[in-house]
Amino acid sequence: MKKVLTTTFIAFFCCSLFAQNQMDENLLLFEQPILITSAGQSADVQLASVLAKRAGLEATLSKLATAEELENIKTVALVIGASLKGMGTAGLDVSEEKKRVNLLIEKAQEKNIPILCLHLGGEARRGQLSDEFITAFLPYAQMAFVLKSGNKDGLFTTICGENNIPLIEVDKTIDALEPLRQAFKIKLKIMSRRVPITMLQVLHNNSAMSTY
Amino acid sequence: MIIRKIISLALIAPLLFLALYSHQEKNPEVQKPPADRHEPYNFVGRKGMVVAAHPLAAQAGLDMLKKRGNAIDAAVATAFALNACEPFASGIGGGGFMVIYLAQQKKVTVINFREKAPRQAYPEMFMIEGETKEELRRTHGLAVAVPGALAGWSYALEKYGTRNLSEVTQRAIEIAEKGFKVSQTFSAINKDEYEKLYQNAGEQSCYLNQGLPYESGDIFRNPDLAQTLRIIASKGSEEFYKGEIARKIIRAVKEKSGIITLEDLALYKPLEQQPLKGTYKDYTLFTINPPSSGGLHIVQLLNIAENWPLKEWGQNTVSYIHHFSEALRFVFADRARYLGDPEFISIPLEELISKKYAASIASQIKPDRTLDSYPHGDFDEKANKKESTTHLSVVDEQGNIVSLTQSINYFFGTGIVPENTGFLLNNQMADFSQDPLSSNAARSERRPVSSMGPLILFKEDKPYLVLGSPGGTRIFPSLTQIILNIIEFGMSLDEAIEAPRFFTYSVQGKPKNLHLESRIPSSIIQALESMGHKPIVRQAFDKYFGGAQGILISQEEKILFGGADSRRDGFGAGY
Repeated sequence: MKKVLTTTFIAFFCCSLFAQNQMDENLLLFEQPILITSAGQSADVQLASVLAKRAGLEATLSKLATAEELENIKTVALVIGASLKGMGTAGLDVSEEKKRVNLLIEKAQEKNIPILCLHLGGEARRGQLSDEFITAFLPYAQMAFVLKSGNKDGLFTTICGENNIPLIEVDKTIDALEPLRQAFKIKLKIMSRRVPITMLQVLHNNSAMSTY
Repeated sequence: MIIRKIISLALIAPLLFLALYSHQEKNPEVQKPPADRHEPYNFVGRKGMVVAAHPLAAQAGLDMLKKRGNAIDAAVATAFALNACEPFASGIGGGGFMVIYLAQQKKVTVINFREKAPRQAYPEMFMIEGETKEELRRTHGLAVAVPGALAGWSYALEKYGTRNLSEVTQRAIEIAEKGFKVSQTFSAINKDEYEKLYQNAGEQSCYLNQGLPYESGDIFRNPDLAQTLRIIASKGSEEFYKGEIARKIIRAVKEKSGIITLEDLALYKPLEQQPLKGTYKDYTLFTINPPSSGGLHIVQLLNIAENWPLKEWGQNTVSYIHHFSEALRFVFADRARYLGDPEFISIPLEELISKKYAASIASQIKPDRTLDSYPHGDFDEKANKKESTTHLSVVDEQGNIVSLTQSINYFFGTGIVPENTGFLLNNQMADFSQDPLSSNAARSERRPVSSMGPLILFKEDKPYLVLGSPGGTRIFPSLTQIILNIIEFGMSLDEAIEAPRFFTYSVQGKPKNLHLESRIPSSIIQALESMGHKPIVRQAFDKYFGGAQGILISQEEKILFGGADSRRDGFGAGY
């Protein structure tokens, strides 16, 4: 059943993107290498880096990535989740961190680099501050991965729905591995957010998809 | 159809009630708090009570009490169990403080098992090219101080307990071996500290789940720890300080370029000390002396609070939060100026805890605005008077009491696990000051300043409240707020523990942000902002503010009320 769901999702995703291709010449790809960075300086960014490594993806981790680091980068993975401790360690306050991420997104859009958003902290990585980062930056994503427990109130579903962003929900962090791999493996063209994608697919993924 | 349903329900409901009621009668110690863990709930006991940061640990302590062990036996059994079920906060790789009340002798004593700096420590040890490197203080081998927990527990057990190490480790071994379901608290902390664990403990470590953080509901097992505890049970604590475990600790620390030696471990001794005594109105408080600042500052804050019309202001009102915050900023100035290891430096304790000094601080606080600076008290140097964390509280049938706070400092300590031992080494060296000229600079064999404040409060010469909390520098502000919630604002113990908290401090006399839980109304936060405070709104129940565990002793009703903090996984078990 899970395999069927996965296959259905991928097929649907492909068809949808193919359809979109007819609409716009400004096409983007989830390609490698990936620049993994944080939006909020939570420790989840390290977790995303390990996931990418396990998925066999070529990725660089830069918690405080700046626009200059986008050279030769094909995808930005934005790991959303606020940590006052993390920002303190980085010597940034909330507005400085938001400014950094804004500049990075702006430059990525200029260069037609797609943004993949990940929220891996679950319920514990929600709350007023994290939600500020989610609402500010999730709308710029071309695809989002979220731990199901972090989307109990449907915040991710709502934002992704409003912005036509494909959303992958997983039960556990490790369950993100295979869909993540697939997102790059299928190498299908996807749209920039400036040209809205009409598809919204929420996949309720279970641990059976994991290869670990 | 509807009538049949109503009849069925009417028949089933009393049966269900009877079933539940009879179950409670048979197992009075099995108390289930409400499904919403934040809803205030007081655990109840008549003979004995254990409150700790994990249900399994509380149960381990209760089992010891029911086997006729005393409060000290139960506290040590609970401490070992916490190493197994709350390993991110304390364990044999850390240290702490224990306040003991011996009912028969009516004596209060303190056991200081705080970690010590290695003999080769020196003030600039965390600096590279004149700049302090935070990673050296937190995740490097240099961050590890000589652990004191096992020495302290063993000392307490031998001198005041009735059981041996083999008996008090039994439940901890079972928990480590069989495992337990990871809570949301465990999972969130595991994720927060993932980078450190990945780098230091390694992908294969039991502290990660196949190299990734644990999710809520995963099973956590630690067979290496079970084996280590078995060795300690059969060979004694000497094995940890002088035997094979000691050699493993040294190897692990040296691999991360640390400086602890076998001799440092062999030389470690816990200290038995006099408690620090303070008063608040008709209440008498017994807590710990420096090197922990916690006890001292609780006494200071309560002294200052005596000058305020608290009942008139009300709990968590603008006036209350403003005055308390300003007092905290003064207290932090004293902390930075005077605190250190009293074995090596002089601390003007009597002056700091005097009512006169408290009144002078209270008089400097402006009711309508924050100050620009907060100077420390100015006291003469005196001759030297030698006198992260989890907390557990225990009361036994004889009225003996233990209030124990211990830590490995930051969650999961350094993340360094000596080979095949299953326990984490502390990063308590980070509690030394970054300033090499500070009275709390890292120096050979010194104990770093702590904020812990395990305490026992007496009312009319009888024990009334046993309390403590983890939470770094938030410990003593949180404990003081809880005490005032009970005494001044008439709350039950757990209401007082669950009530919204706030915290602020000062650095070099300058005010820092005011952190508040989001349950404090925004109108109050705005009013505080207009007075000059810079608020940071945190989560509704934020573990940043600690996880207090307490027991309130109602002498009149002969009932023990246990209060366990829902900011973590606190739980009580009484009988």
